[in-house]
Amino acid sequence: MTQAITTAGTGPVTRSDGHRERRSRRTRRVWLHVLVYGSALLFVVFSVAPILWGLSTALKPSKDQYQFPPQWIPKTITLEHFAAVFSNQAIIHAFLNTLVISISTTFIALLVGILGAYGFSRYRFPGRGTLLVSVLFTQLFPRVVVIVPFFITLRNLNLINTLPGLVLVYLMVVFPIAIWMIKGFFDRIPREIEEAAIVDGCSIPRLLWTIVLPMSRPALVAVGMYSFILAFNEFLFALVFTSGTQSQPLSVALAFFIDDVGIHWGDLMAASLLMSVPAIVVFSFAQKLLVRGLSEGAVKG
Amino acid sequence: MAILSTTQRGATGDEPDFKRDNRERRRRIAIQKWGPGYLLVLPAVVLIVAMMLYPLIQTLIFSVSNVQLPLLTPVFTGFANFLAVFKDPNTGPLVLRTLEWVVGTVALRFVLGFLAAIIFNAKVRGTVWMRVLVVLPWMVPSVVAANLWRWVLQSDNGILNETLKSWGVPSSALVDWLGNPHTVLGAVIVAYSWAGFPFVMLLILAGMQGISEEQYEAAKMDGANWWQLFRYITVPAIRPVLIISLILEIVSAVNSFDTIEVLTGGGPANASQIWSIGIYNTGFQSYNFGGASAMSVLMFVIAIVLFAIYGIANRRNARLERGEAR
Repeated sequence: MTQAITTAGTGPVTRSDGHRERRSRRTRRVWLHVLVYGSALLFVVFSVAPILWGLSTALKPSKDQYQFPPQWIPKTITLEHFAAVFSNQAIIHAFLNTLVISISTTFIALLVGILGAYGFSRYRFPGRGTLLVSVLFTQLFPRVVVIVPFFITLRNLNLINTLPGLVLVYLMVVFPIAIWMIKGFFDRIPREIEEAAIVDGCSIPRLLWTIVLPMSRPALVAVGMYSFILAFNEFLFALVFTSGTQSQPLSVALAFFIDDVGIHWGDLMAASLLMSVPAIVVFSFAQKLLVRGLSEGAVKG
Repeated sequence: MAILSTTQRGATGDEPDFKRDNRERRRRIAIQKWGPGYLLVLPAVVLIVAMMLYPLIQTLIFSVSNVQLPLLTPVFTGFANFLAVFKDPNTGPLVLRTLEWVVGTVALRFVLGFLAAIIFNAKVRGTVWMRVLVVLPWMVPSVVAANLWRWVLQSDNGILNETLKSWGVPSSALVDWLGNPHTVLGAVIVAYSWAGFPFVMLLILAGMQGISEEQYEAAKMDGANWWQLFRYITVPAIRPVLIISLILEIVSAVNSFDTIEVLTGGGPANASQIWSIGIYNTGFQSYNFGGASAMSVLMFVIAIVLFAIYGIANRRNARLERGEAR
């Protein structure tokens, strides 16, 4: 990857004398493994502890939640909190809102993304560079900067507190990354087949539909799932452009999950863990593809 | 193209017909060549104009206006909004706090991510399942991450304080992490870094796995120790990834909103309020849209500077990579 730099760097390495360390190499190796394993374990504890504590809270009866010393493993396991979540009308309603918004947003973003990515990938038109940079900028710039104008525009269009309004603003969260990732995948498809098809008089929509899309199906599925998750998890726009429960998505519902008796931590943890399931599933299945796509969009911008 | 240039050379001032022909043909070729490209990116361009350019222009207009509820028609007021921001005694601390936030979260995320990448790149048997678990915080939605930490950091029965108590820390020494103005920013920084360091780790790991094993083997033959391998092979090879992930982390720290808003809403007494939360509170708690817009414009300037730095770093990386391809 970086031949030029590393060859320059090997100079000092050759000069160092390593033979005197050779005798204790075995014991050092063992110690190194212990050290690596131990620090890896520390990272696991740091990463997983808050999640496990949430899970533990979600699985034990409310009266056990404030026990001292804390019970990591619940003495009695109950599913009452999960049951409470599923019978909570407000949460189910918010979940359905989120589902509708995320699916619509993903669909539109994929459409715009496929077309745009193909255009950027196959045509070297004047202004292409500027446009690509603006797409990237749309993804990276602080969205909080546009909440006031968005609010006023949505209000003028009577779209505040509506699902279509949210889909509209969510597009901004999703479509730039969709274009970047799909473009990365299209760039990797060899053009020869398409060129042959064009010579045979194949139109561009047909070309896309019959040749390019089938070839990039796994990538498109990954991008679609990622877009879905982005919309599913979005919080800022949801918070600003909704009020009351009518069109409120799940993220906002869970952020302010409180009633007159206070916060039901068991229910909140159960709902929060359930909300994480789609993202965890998607990321586990497509992690390699996503990290490659994300770092290509971001790193090779 | 060759035909075009010969006719061009032949075309002098007294042959306007040729010239026009030439121009027309060139336009036709341009349309044929680029037309489909423009059509394909048109929806994306519409979105960019509608969702970025237009709102930004609106923000600029609002920032020099007084925007009154309920009609929200902007009335020009000059730089009054900006002056109000600069005169506000809360602005200084707000800037300082935002800086603390950015430096704190970026440093923590980066150090944790880098360390984790080094550890999980060591290929010690039995660490693969651990790597899977370490990535979990990155997968969890930001609102969920905030909720989990809100529950961990509860003053009276949060698991952190309960654990400290069970280790024998006297209750007088326990802190209300999110309720105490002195600890709240640190607590929120830890929660935010928790959710973000795995991504840094994944980026750096991907960079490390691109280094060929042969380079290490060759250096080991020459008797290099692990530090030398790390310093002279690993670090130079992943430098582009390090720089880009550092910049990306700075950008996301400046832009971040969710974690703080859910955990504290910027409180207590503004002790965890950063610039983005300030914009939201000014606009949607105090309904001062003009003031929020002025703050937005200032933030946008910072965003452009960051983006420019990002672009420069990217170009340098691309040049480096092209250089190596030779």
